[in-house]
Amino acid sequence: MNAVTRIAVVGAGQAAAVAARALRRRGFDGAIEIIGAETHRPYQRPPLSKEFLADGADGDGADSDLFLLPADWCEANDVRLRLGQEATRVDSAAGAVELTDGTRVPADAVLIATGGRPRRLTTSGPRVHYLRTLDDARRLRERLVPEARVIVAGAGFIGAEVAATARGLGADVTVIEPREAPLLPLLGTRVGAACAELHRANGTRLRLGAAVESVEETTAGVLVTARGERIEGDVLVVGIGIVPNDEVAARSGIAVADGVVTDEYCRASVPNVFAAGDVARHFHPLFGERIRAEHFDSASRQAAVAAGAILGGARAYDDPYWFWSDQYDASLQYAGHAAGSDEIVVRGSLEDLDFCAFYLRDGVLRGAFGIDRGAEVAAARELISQRRAVPPRALADEETDLTELAEPAELAEPTEPTEPAGAAGPETVPPETDEPTARGNIT
Amino acid sequence: MNATPPTNTAPLAGELTVEWLQVAELAELRRANRKKVMVAGTPVVLFLIGGRVFALRDACVHKQRPLSRGTILHGKVVCPGHQWKFDPETGQAEDSDKCQPVYAVRVDGGHVYLNPQERVPDTVSRG
Repeated sequence: MNAVTRIAVVGAGQAAAVAARALRRRGFDGAIEIIGAETHRPYQRPPLSKEFLADGADGDGADSDLFLLPADWCEANDVRLRLGQEATRVDSAAGAVELTDGTRVPADAVLIATGGRPRRLTTSGPRVHYLRTLDDARRLRERLVPEARVIVAGAGFIGAEVAATARGLGADVTVIEPREAPLLPLLGTRVGAACAELHRANGTRLRLGAAVESVEETTAGVLVTARGERIEGDVLVVGIGIVPNDEVAARSGIAVADGVVTDEYCRASVPNVFAAGDVARHFHPLFGERIRAEHFDSASRQAAVAAGAILGGARAYDDPYWFWSDQYDASLQYAGHAAGSDEIVVRGSLEDLDFCAFYLRDGVLRGAFGIDRGAEVAAARELISQRRAVPPRALADEETDLTELAEPAELAEPTEPTEPAGAAGPETVPPETDEPTARGNIT
Repeated sequence: MNATPPTNTAPLAGELTVEWLQVAELAELRRANRKKVMVAGTPVVLFLIGGRVFALRDACVHKQRPLSRGTILHGKVVCPGHQWKFDPETGQAEDSDKCQPVYAVRVDGGHVYLNPQERVPDTVSRG
């Protein structure tokens, strides 16, 4: 393969920013051009439904924290941003990306990181909001004032975070969700019900099993009908998922299947074309299937892997997925891929909204979801990545430190004889010394 | 107070003039490998990691979540809020320029002593 000297990134979000930084960190000194449809510099999306939105109508001071590739960094690192421009086609044979204005950006490697766009209702109007972009968030936060009647369609993560943020700003919030529990396909009925309880405990009304039937804007507000009930609000926020922006790939003869199909190294079906982030349907070696994830962490890690692959590296993206969702005062976190599990083990109390649920298949841990259980989720990430069979009773037992099941024995702390971690199997080799005095600061 | 020199941290300028505070007993750290203490009104968490005691401010530099509710993985402190990982000795965050404030610690006769002067990132040698 000839050395890559010019790289174009189509899309200018998290994955694009991480890829650009990773390429420079790895010593790539050729051209990097980032083509973004929005006019904004690359920015982070996670705060848009949380802190940024919570800043409210007059917030603006923290905006600068959002941006991922400041102008001085781009200048110092010779990274060119082509903003407000869309790519129409990747011409990998000729080594170029074509833009809507006819420009051809030369590139011997192309990273497609175009993300996705909100799935939309057929009704549109000034009171019907979506939340994906910085402009969306700026428009929406104008609406989130105390006493505002906010209707949220969809109890997924965007809907839940908007609901929580709006409640925090003193709004009156109703969430409409067609399934019987929030996040049901992801988490199952019982854990989804706990997420419903988190909303109710914070004063958010839920209409479950209620699909939106009609939306009507009036001069005074917006009228939503769901399962026969008429709900009036000042604003409707629709969070019903995203559609991957894979059209540019499809037009270019690159394989797509609800996202740009890639192998574990983030390589697309055409040589010298790669994909990362929300648009990528990536073959995940850990779970043995092609998955299109929509998380900040996987976008970042896939982008770093893609950058390596562009430069001829051979490291796969095989980390368990991980994401967080801050809602109200609770920290929700998820690791792995719960879909396809055949057993759920709960540590803690679903009723008290203080738990970690573990998802297993054939005794092997593959997913975890917790409320205020960041420690357990961190340990679960490790166990999932190690494809570890973990005894359910160790998962359920509050006294078992899961990191001791995950870590190599030589790194683990010496355990007390009563520690139930002994059930973990071959990795729990007894420590060689009783007292950790051999090194360190204990005198 | 005994004048045993600290063995787990590089000496810092001005350290000798600082009074070491006795903040915990080593035995208290054994059960959960951690203990929360207050130092001059600031929450601090002590971690026992690989046989050494480390002290970090117990409010993550990212979003102020308590590190004491986090975990230790591969020798790093993992914040429960957003899984930021910190080197317990330097406070350096992984994948970020930020540093968690840390404190010098020494252990003597089963007692844990802490230098209440926060170590600021600039005095920390980066790995």
